[in-house]
Amino acid sequence: MNNTALSNEDESFWDDDARILCDVERVASVRLSAVANSIDQDGYYPADIMGELGQAGAFLPHLKAYGERFDAAINNMSAISRNCGSTGFITWCQDVCGLYMELSGNPALVNRLVDHATGTTFGGTALSNPMKAFTNIEAMALKANKVEGGYVVSGTLPWVSHIADGQCCGAIAAIDNSDGSRSHEVMFMLDINEEVNLTKCPEFSGMEGTSTWALNLNKYFVSDAQIIADPARPFIKKIRGAFILLQTGWAMGVTQASIDACREVEVSLGHVNQFLHNRPDELEAELKDLHARIMQLAKDPYDTSKEHMLDVLDTRAQCSELALKASQSALLHQGARGYLMKSKPQRLIREAHFVGIVTPAIKHLRWEMAKLMSEG
Amino acid sequence: MRVTHSTITWRLFICRACGLIYDEAEGDPDSGLAPGTRFEDIPDDWECPLCGVTKTDFEPFERPQITAAPQTVAFSKQPGIVVIGAGLAGWSVIEAIRKDDADVPITLLSACKGDRYHKPELSVAMSRGVSAEQLVRETAEDAGRRLRVKLITSAFAVGLNAARHELRTTRGTIEYTHLVLAQGSKPYLPMQLEADACWHVNHLKSWGGLEKALRAGPQRVAIIGAGMIGCELAEDLNKAGHRVSLINRDAHPLLALLPQLAASCLVDSMVQQGIEHHANAHIAGLEQNASGESSVVLEDGSKVAYDQLIAATGLQTDNRLAKQAGLTFNNGIAVNARSLQTSEKNIYALGDCISIDGVACRFIEPIAHQARSIASSILRGNEQSYKHIDPVIRLKTRAMPIVLRGIPKPVGVWKTVTQNEQELVMEQYVEGEKIAVLTMGLLPGSEAA
Repeated sequence: MNNTALSNEDESFWDDDARILCDVERVASVRLSAVANSIDQDGYYPADIMGELGQAGAFLPHLKAYGERFDAAINNMSAISRNCGSTGFITWCQDVCGLYMELSGNPALVNRLVDHATGTTFGGTALSNPMKAFTNIEAMALKANKVEGGYVVSGTLPWVSHIADGQCCGAIAAIDNSDGSRSHEVMFMLDINEEVNLTKCPEFSGMEGTSTWALNLNKYFVSDAQIIADPARPFIKKIRGAFILLQTGWAMGVTQASIDACREVEVSLGHVNQFLHNRPDELEAELKDLHARIMQLAKDPYDTSKEHMLDVLDTRAQCSELALKASQSALLHQGARGYLMKSKPQRLIREAHFVGIVTPAIKHLRWEMAKLMSEG
Repeated sequence: MRVTHSTITWRLFICRACGLIYDEAEGDPDSGLAPGTRFEDIPDDWECPLCGVTKTDFEPFERPQITAAPQTVAFSKQPGIVVIGAGLAGWSVIEAIRKDDADVPITLLSACKGDRYHKPELSVAMSRGVSAEQLVRETAEDAGRRLRVKLITSAFAVGLNAARHELRTTRGTIEYTHLVLAQGSKPYLPMQLEADACWHVNHLKSWGGLEKALRAGPQRVAIIGAGMIGCELAEDLNKAGHRVSLINRDAHPLLALLPQLAASCLVDSMVQQGIEHHANAHIAGLEQNASGESSVVLEDGSKVAYDQLIAATGLQTDNRLAKQAGLTFNNGIAVNARSLQTSEKNIYALGDCISIDGVACRFIEPIAHQARSIASSILRGNEQSYKHIDPVIRLKTRAMPIVLRGIPKPVGVWKTVTQNEQELVMEQYVEGEKIAVLTMGLLPGSEAA
């Protein structure tokens, strides 16, 4: 890491995990919970609140420059997600985009890190397609050609979140040889400007405020200043575990919110809710186990061993399963009031579904674990 | 690709962006593409009906293969006994349970297809000219129907929570009342050998790959490791017409089991058959020369050229599940010698994956007994029914069959009882007590037919 990027900061300011988490929780509970439904259903993109969360230190603990504390980053994300799953998700986008900048080692990108880490600027990640392509689930969507001073890239990605004009996202494009065979892939920071066509996505069932767009590139020029990794594969191999592990913070927040929703009605409905299965105490015990497992894995986020990857993939899969189970239970606990369109359990169920289907989806995780296991 | 009649093949194209499939047979009537519209006839301004990208983002689509097992029993939500591993141990325990209880739900989780075969045959089957398919005695599907077992095949156990009785697999999470670990062991490879550089015969799939590779005609085969499998395989492949080099890091084959006199007879027998035995040969690495010829490079600089390389360097038990569930692991999943229970009450283990008092026991003979004991413990609460007896070891080297009763010890003293044209009989004593008897039949050159 280029430490000059931090020269304007009092570095010790960001050392206190507990204080950061406390500030993040405050912003999330005061500002986010009030607008969570509007974010989920009406498409309100909470850039203002993201800025405040950034100022509180939500998006930086996992970065090497700030001590590489993945546990703290995951706990921040979880606290945000507990109040709004959509914002939890774009927190993950912001966090991994920060990783790309920092680990690129490209001075032009590293110099952008402080603004990004403190929520002055925003950026996401367009790696769903290449992550699936690298494990043979689907084909690469973006193609690049080498030109003087960089690459030109064309292609379409259907759903990229946390992007807007003036923001950026990490992306990967394939470079083919003249005979059509694959040469390699290049990873770059895609700066969203007038050269990028963003098209409104069809209406989703929830998570509308994540600023998710279809992104089309037609001979978009990528300069050397934007290169994250060339070739991309070694870089992806290095960050893959960390990339997936960070998502667990978001998933655990949705689960915790679901447990909260079960408990909210305990006073009035506890006498009948006692007959339900997946009661909050039971869900919480599983969440506690899972959290402990995740905190352990967070100690060594860049371990690329097969054992570690299996653990990360399995933990992430369990996060999805638990979020789905917990949100379903939240609705059953709240009964009729949970069936109201604007109720919290309705939103939690939509959020949990997204936890289960976004890359890496439960099925992708299992596909990949099976692949890893069968490699001997 | 689908064929609708004999001459027209309708093609499928997939949207790279969202996965929608355009089927030429069906067209896209909602946007004015009649059924039968060829992909190349679609106008450039047509948009994917799901995500809105244009036809340049579509590519030809072939239906991917699905590897899930066929359904053999009615779906049941009742958690029952879950068995991990469809080798001899796994199927034996299922047979034993079904003998006593026709109804208890059983689920079998297997990393492979789960077909039943007799594993000891793998080291002697090549010279019989059979294929992997012919070694299958009963398919998993047939056995699953007959024994009413739910099959989850081509699937792996990745997580185990003993407190919640929950097994996490690559095909979903399953609950169990009792779990039986029969996961076997996997080849142990020295660090000079990459898994994809050599064959092994630890399961039918890998054996089948080797068999196919050897079908092309007589080849040079290098076998690394001169334990039981290495020795049996060397003879088998030699008999099948291949030129075999046996690379042995020790001075003699089967160093831990055979006294020097017996080992020398075995080497003489192998050499007489045409097998090259490289003693005290330590591998430095593998290399390929400019003309593409592969060789094992030994530490003394000599090379053994090969067309096929086989590792017979021993086995080890994977400890992932044991670690996750906090099961005691000591050179294998540690089990109680009388009950075959692991350190968790409702989890049992048998076969190659277990260790008793820190010793792994990778022989076929005890498995049936272990299976019956586990069934009896699970179904009748009879927890003390197993008694471990050292198995009789039989080396299936046909030119010189070896039978060993009792497990010899390094401190033991060997005495020759009989040595003549027909047989060699030796006994091992520790502190005056006979602990092992070795019988070797038919000395070199005297093999009938």
